[in-house]
Amino acid sequence: MKILVVDDSSTMRRIIINTLGRIGYSDVVEAEHGKGGLEKLGQGGVEMIITDWNMPEMDGLEFVKTVRGQNPGIPILMVTTNAAKEDIVEALQAGVNNYVVKPFTPETLKEKIESLLG
Amino acid sequence: MDQSEIDALLAGGGKGPKKGKAKAETPAVQAAPASTTHPAPVTPIPETAPQRDKGGHVIAEIDTVTAVTERESNKVMDQLDQIGQLVGRQQQLITELMKHSGSQDEGVQKALHEIMTAGKGIQDKVFDAMDLMQFQDITRQKLERIVNHLRQIHDYIIDLLGTGEKSEARPMSLSRTIATTGTTPDENKAHADSVIEAFKQKKD
Repeated sequence: MKILVVDDSSTMRRIIINTLGRIGYSDVVEAEHGKGGLEKLGQGGVEMIITDWNMPEMDGLEFVKTVRGQNPGIPILMVTTNAAKEDIVEALQAGVNNYVVKPFTPETLKEKIESLLG
Repeated sequence: MDQSEIDALLAGGGKGPKKGKAKAETPAVQAAPASTTHPAPVTPIPETAPQRDKGGHVIAEIDTVTAVTERESNKVMDQLDQIGQLVGRQQQLITELMKHSGSQDEGVQKALHEIMTAGKGIQDKVFDAMDLMQFQDITRQKLERIVNHLRQIHDYIIDLLGTGEKSEARPMSLSRTIATTGTTPDENKAHADSVIEAFKQKKD
């Protein structure tokens, strides 16, 4: 399964990719922002998206809305520092399937991914 | 951070941090099992020198701090990756050694098992340390909000005085608040899960 990880922080991308590797998902592509994410998505093969919210160029919310316009079925997990109730609701309304607030444990990421794929 | 970067920060001007080294060292894109992960691309550090008339040098300094911190965090991640790989190699060597006829003594086998267990413990701690590096991204986002506030104050004063240049606003989405941003892993998990559950129930 190919997973797209979109986050402007290279440290955070590494942490997420490391965690994915530990739970058995090693086929990963990455992007620094929403625009880059759309490019990677256009190359095909991506079956799941993990995206940050606060990014330059195109933020995660806009990215999710754009993806949903093209691909209503792909599972999207948002991983962000935004913890306000209004933010979580806004992301869900935009089309996010599940939501993780940073900082997270690997167990939480695993749980959320499995719930999306299960 | 090297001395030139420290000098640049203290001076509030002059040259920015060196660019590109971390990026050049980190070419990998594909993920791999944790023990063999390669460094990921690093966001380049802007070379723009702090400018007093473009939003204040304090703002530029904070920008520099966040960029340098990210670069240094990636160096720590590189080191942790290498430790993980070395322990993995050690585990392989011990596994081979355990098959050797000379190591079939019960005491030797027990000792080798203990070394294997200790190695697994080291790898777990390496992974824990990597996960803790999330603080870098969280701190960066908090600083970005502070920079945004400083820009707004700067521009307000410029408007008030009717002279000077406004800061160069950058298109960047920011978190609504940093008051709810946690520092302990999964601190906000229960809260987020309850909001998700309520949303789903309402939708159904």
